Amino acid sequence: MDALIDKLKGEIIEQLNLEDLKKEDIDANAPLFGEGLGLDSIDALELIVLLEKNYGIKIQDPKDAKAIFTSIQTMADYIKANQK
Amino acid sequence: MANKVFVTGMGIMSAIGNSVEETLYSLSNNRSGIEKIRYLETSHKDNFVVGEVKLSNKELIELAGIGTYNRTTLLGYIAVREALKMASITDMKEARTGFISSTTVAGMCHTELLYKGFFEGKNNENFMDHHLNGVSTNDIASHFGIRDYVTSISTACSSAANAMILGARLIKNNILDRVVVGGVDPLSKFTLNGFNTLMILDNEWSKPFDENRKGLNLGEGAAFLVLESEKWVKEKNKKVLAQLIGYGNANDAFHQTASSPEGHGALLAMQKAFKVAGITPDQIDYINAHGTGTPNNDASEGIAMQTIFKNHVPKFSSTKAFTGHTLAAAAAVEAVISILAIQNSMIFPCLNRKEQMKNLTITPVDTLEKNVSLDYVMSNSFGFGGNCSSLIFAKN
Amino acid sequence: MEIYINGMACISHHDTVDENYFFEDIGSVPLNNQLIATEPNYKDHIPANLIRRMSHIVKMGVSTGMMSMKSAGLEEVDAIVTGTGMGCCEDTDKFLRMLLDNDERFLTPTSFIQSTHNTVAGQIALQIKCNGYNFTYVHQNLSFEYALLDAMMLLKEQEALTVLVGAVDEITPSMFELFYRGGHIKKLENVQPIWNSNTNGYIVGEGAGFFNISRIATPSTYAKIKGVKCIQGISDANELTNEVNSFLAEIGLEKDQISLVLSGNSGDVVTDKKISEFNKTINLPIAYFKHLCGEYFTSSTFALWLAANIIKRQVVPNAIFPDQAQVLNIQNILIVNHHEDNQYSLMCISKC
Repeated sequence: MDALIDKLKGEIIEQLNLEDLKKEDIDANAPLFGEGLGLDSIDALELIVLLEKNYGIKIQDPKDAKAIFTSIQTMADYIKANQK
Repeated sequence: MANKVFVTGMGIMSAIGNSVEETLYSLSNNRSGIEKIRYLETSHKDNFVVGEVKLSNKELIELAGIGTYNRTTLLGYIAVREALKMASITDMKEARTGFISSTTVAGMCHTELLYKGFFEGKNNENFMDHHLNGVSTNDIASHFGIRDYVTSISTACSSAANAMILGARLIKNNILDRVVVGGVDPLSKFTLNGFNTLMILDNEWSKPFDENRKGLNLGEGAAFLVLESEKWVKEKNKKVLAQLIGYGNANDAFHQTASSPEGHGALLAMQKAFKVAGITPDQIDYINAHGTGTPNNDASEGIAMQTIFKNHVPKFSSTKAFTGHTLAAAAAVEAVISILAIQNSMIFPCLNRKEQMKNLTITPVDTLEKNVSLDYVMSNSFGFGGNCSSLIFAKN
Repeated sequence: MEIYINGMACISHHDTVDENYFFEDIGSVPLNNQLIATEPNYKDHIPANLIRRMSHIVKMGVSTGMMSMKSAGLEEVDAIVTGTGMGCCEDTDKFLRMLLDNDERFLTPTSFIQSTHNTVAGQIALQIKCNGYNFTYVHQNLSFEYALLDAMMLLKEQEALTVLVGAVDEITPSMFELFYRGGHIKKLENVQPIWNSNTNGYIVGEGAGFFNISRIATPSTYAKIKGVKCIQGISDANELTNEVNSFLAEIGLEKDQISLVLSGNSGDVVTDKKISEFNKTINLPIAYFKHLCGEYFTSSTFALWLAANIIKRQVVPNAIFPDQAQVLNIQNILIVNHHEDNQYSLMCISKC
């Protein structure tokens, strides 16, 4: 699980060009949107593709994304539950 | 700045017809042009419905007869030809004449077929000849011999509205006597996939202003208007189709792609248009809304209309469920539709709409209305980069 | 009504963002056939949360716009008008390759949304919260000139008191390859002084130039804009001379009032033919600029920035002036530009 969180942090930093951030700067339980990392709706779309491309998980309705992308932890939980 | 700006000609190519006449027929018979993908080469052929112009490149080449294969130029050329014919313009030198076109992807529909091969060394075709914005503008202008003011605008989905605004200003500032204005965008894999990444495409028919709307259908097309100065129209005793009486452009300054929840930019654009027109909101008889059918646009636009018109929002509809969203051409396509509405005393419906939007108190016209006298019609267009434009056409 | 340049900024191959720099160190022959921009520290001009998604052209454009605002001492403007000949090539290239390589799957939106031509104008509006008029012109090598004409018209219409107007173009590896293979860009061994070139092709460049223009002069004013004219094409040098003469008549200047001509020679022996002939016959001091910034669709921004600087400093850098004759009391500068003999433009600015 920790390995997955670590991997996700790296992927998110790369995909979203968060070049000033290091993995250790990101709290797995901190909110990704709004306060925490301050991501926005375009980032959410980027993360949807990240899940599809790297983990083979397809989110059909963008409305579902909100809950899945609450934090790195919720993303990891979702991946674990849905990965075939 | 007293010079009025009149519309004396229009031409259109879209999913619902290859002329103004065909367009009117489709609109007044509830015939949408949105169908399964027929011409565009894409691996999404079965995933989306789109509003294609119902002609292959080969058929367009024959119809235009100008020796280019660039779909952008061909669509634009045919629409401009129709507009000039309707305005009875043949001699470009008798008056100061301009051409302002707009496009978002220009020749991307060809570039994307050649790109990989070029960089892999398989072909050497210099697709820059049609890829660049401005190429189709210059090609079309030179076919008709227009030289006095020839330029291209690209402000995403409000592009053609801004071409019309510039044209009107050039006439009012006495820089031109007449100007052909509008926009053209062909369908391309680039835009289809681009909008798909934003998850704002509906796989089925779009449902503008419906509570359960999922997104837009892309379309393609070209539309152009001939604008002429009051002075020139009087001098030549020309037949007038409508007057472009008001216009405004403003920026939402909220987000790169999304509209602000309260539709601030849209509101400002409409306010400016009223100011230029010198009329008040209660004089508007019909609004051809941007109404793309995305959750964000229709909510934001609806709120903006409720704000500016207070409790008296005029009849409104989006005609994008007929044509698809034709991007840079959309505002010109809808200007033609707005003028057809004025000329024929009709309001063309918002197709596919079933359920009232919960966050709005207003409801669009969803069945064809006839014998409605329309003196003032507003047409709105909004684009990425917060670009918002509003136009007002008057009957006389 | 007069129109003033009250602030400006330029990103180019040279260190033009440094206010003290004025080409003191430059020779007449560039060392490359590609003049890549010298970039400022973008974080000084663009907030970090906006910058992370921006491509090269967007960063160049937005930061130059912000620097221009700063030089005019303004935090807001009434309108933003931009131009770009090629648009956002890096993002377009990225999205297109992603699309073609993955058979239209696994695509992400960022490069698509930033590939639209009005990205720079939209991002500047977002950054300075400008709800005003926002236009983007995309008419090849006249993109900036048409933007400037529009901006000036807004001032004349009293629709705006201050306008931010500018343009930007980038060269990417793909675009370089495309133009190089098409024979547009010079071979490295053929690079020569552009005013005395007998080889084919141009030296390609990139850059951004933005200007704050207004009806009201301020202590920071550089120059006033006398006029701008776009020409769809000319058949020979004579026609160019005639266009220049009628332009000067329109703006109320005699030919001998022009202190200096900045000529848009690109170094391509074929397409420079008419402008070279014009330079020889016009009988005015001629200086050049494309060996400093390279050829790109909106290189006129560099020329205008250079001209306004020359007027304010009353110095003609040796690097641009092969005659090296002393030009004193610089009152009016005429810029004559073209791109591969297609469309031509004329701009004239004057000392205040």
